[in-house]
Amino acid sequence: MPEVVLSAHDLVKHYPIKKGVLRRTVGHVKAVDGVSFDLHKGETLGIVGESGCGKSTLGRLLMRLEEPTAGSVVFEGQDWSGASARDTRRLRRDIQIVFQDPYTSLNPRMTVGDIIGEPFEIHPDVVPRAGRRKRVQELLDLVGLNPEHINRYPHQFSGGQRQRIGIARGIALNPKVLVCDEPVSALDVSVQAQVVNLMEQLQDELGLAYVFIAHDLSVVRHISDRVGVMYLGKLAEIGEEDEVYARPTHPYTQALLSAVPVPDPTLRGKREQIVLVGDVPSPANPPSGCRFHTRCWKAQDVCSTDEPELVQRPDGRGSHLSACHFAEVRRVVETTDVSGENPDDRFASPDVSELSDAGAGLGPAGGGESLGSAQAGSTARRAEATNPAPEGADPARLATDDHQDPTR
Amino acid sequence: MTTETSTRSANGEVTYTPQDGRLLEVEDLHVEFHTPDGIARAINGVSFDLHEGESLAILGESGSGKSVTAQAIMGILDMPPAVIPHGYIRYCGHDLLTMPEEQRRKTRGPEVSMIFQDALSSLNPVFPVGWQIAEMFRIHRGMNKSDALEQAVRLMERVQIPAARDRVKAYPHQFSGGMRQRIMIAMAIALDPAVLIADEPTTALDVTVQAQIMSLLQELQQERQMGLILITHDLGVVADVADRIVVMYAGRLVEKADVHDLYRNPAHPYTRGLLESIPRLDQKGQTLAAIGGLPPNLMRIPPGCAFNPRCRMAQDVCRTELPPLREVAPGRLSACHFAEEVIDA
Repeated sequence: MPEVVLSAHDLVKHYPIKKGVLRRTVGHVKAVDGVSFDLHKGETLGIVGESGCGKSTLGRLLMRLEEPTAGSVVFEGQDWSGASARDTRRLRRDIQIVFQDPYTSLNPRMTVGDIIGEPFEIHPDVVPRAGRRKRVQELLDLVGLNPEHINRYPHQFSGGQRQRIGIARGIALNPKVLVCDEPVSALDVSVQAQVVNLMEQLQDELGLAYVFIAHDLSVVRHISDRVGVMYLGKLAEIGEEDEVYARPTHPYTQALLSAVPVPDPTLRGKREQIVLVGDVPSPANPPSGCRFHTRCWKAQDVCSTDEPELVQRPDGRGSHLSACHFAEVRRVVETTDVSGENPDDRFASPDVSELSDAGAGLGPAGGGESLGSAQAGSTARRAEATNPAPEGADPARLATDDHQDPTR
Repeated sequence: MTTETSTRSANGEVTYTPQDGRLLEVEDLHVEFHTPDGIARAINGVSFDLHEGESLAILGESGSGKSVTAQAIMGILDMPPAVIPHGYIRYCGHDLLTMPEEQRRKTRGPEVSMIFQDALSSLNPVFPVGWQIAEMFRIHRGMNKSDALEQAVRLMERVQIPAARDRVKAYPHQFSGGMRQRIMIAMAIALDPAVLIADEPTTALDVTVQAQIMSLLQELQQERQMGLILITHDLGVVADVADRIVVMYAGRLVEKADVHDLYRNPAHPYTRGLLESIPRLDQKGQTLAAIGGLPPNLMRIPPGCAFNPRCRMAQDVCRTELPPLREVAPGRLSACHFAEEVIDA
């Protein structure tokens, strides 16, 4: 197995709930509550879960956009949680993030060239000033956009194109890890596949490791080597893609998988559906013991008192990590192995280069895609989060300049 | 013109009766938006009908015109900027577009009603949910406050909201996303409509909640024999629910088929490309193919077939001649010059 690049050790993030005139802390929202995993070089770890399960907070903790309440993030053997501002900046070069919403995560007042080139302002030694424009154009080409569009503004691009800009910014510094927080969920179906294929191609070419956070279980299965399922701030189950999807042992994973509609009408009424009652409990007051026990059909007394550990539990063909006292394999998805089968390329193509919309000449799509003015307000804030404040940058800082041109 | 099948009762109220089970007929509908930048042609000649108890899915991406179609049927388009230059929308033989507004208003709710995608912004935040459901009975049925509220409780129970009687006075923000969508459904079915339009009813919801809401909708549809129009971009949801599907692209229907035919053997390159570009939960090692390019700008729809710049089969004829929606196999319509080749592929 390839070396570990990034690992999370018992990460915890609690947000205080403040009330009253004195803003006294009356409780905590336990967004992430003890999450550990390893990410290997060049692999994709998918993180799935429903809204409010803490998956986005986890992504922000990995990037250190949030300080963990407890636990640590270790990058290539170095504990990142105690790092100084200077070290953090250097480490951020190796861990970058792509945000969900391509409409609010790009500053509308900056040109595409400035957005993608901004990381070079903070890390001036990566590319000499004179070569930056050329480098940005190479990056645009790499993500399938027309390099001549370097002076355009974000509103002149469609959602899919904007997400490509976000990806170009993410890979500008040649990171080793890219945290992708719902990178395709805001995109149309026909555009989603283009971006997913682009991400896979970039991974092969640049040897990137992805933490792919998403709520769409089908997309996660497609792109991930390993998958972690989160429920109320904890990992319920984590393992190889096949272990989690074909041999899930945690009841929550089983319920989640059974609820996903499959685009095949012949399976109507034949698929096993586990319908969960009620809603996800509040993370401010999570249930005792196993957090899923309030909605679980297998729950016994022990589930409400003892918290099940995330340990290896048998899955029929081996074992993988699962946090259930009564872990037991239940096949809810009949998996067909189609590896090696090529799709009919008369109508759609798996070839990324062929699909770049650089020369499509259609311009941004009108009608359905519009930039809501309400969204624009948060843009600047989000953009800052991606690229740490430039005034904090230290141009005199020395750094090894072994970064290669990914386009070769 | 179709003969009007309605009777006027003594008090002047119109009752609507479907003809041969046909509730709704949309014929050659066009909708344009007149904007300062030009005319956006959102719908360019759409025809379909809906029968009693039938589930029809309108499938399309953003900008394909699927939501505008629904809004035109409901009569809730902002006009201007929207203009309907041609077309008919007949409900039980009555053209909704030429009907006096007062009469049309009376169809919204008792005859045709709609569920919106975003329940939080569709409900009024300053009134309790029970009051909002009860409003349907007060306004359309002239019920008094307490009777109307009693009906609201009954409906909230029907859509499986726990402790309905205690929560009838709660405000929308006090409910979760799934519960809010149930309240929207309760409002929509309050007056027993014959047609229910659901515009992306589960897009904003988590997958386990989506499953709950879709099964509730199906149950209610069967119980009340409603005609359901489901508007969505999700090919998975459609496969589970729809009887018939119309696929929209750039404001036109590109394909119309029975659900099984469409998935087994699509007759339009766009539908085919879409089906190949979705990752599937039940497949391992899938190679994902993608449709290149972008949906067109509705102010500059390409000449000929609107899909031609993205179509890998496109020939010269596709760039000049608009393919008509024609029958390519029994009960199957496709708007492609080469539909026969697509369907045999």
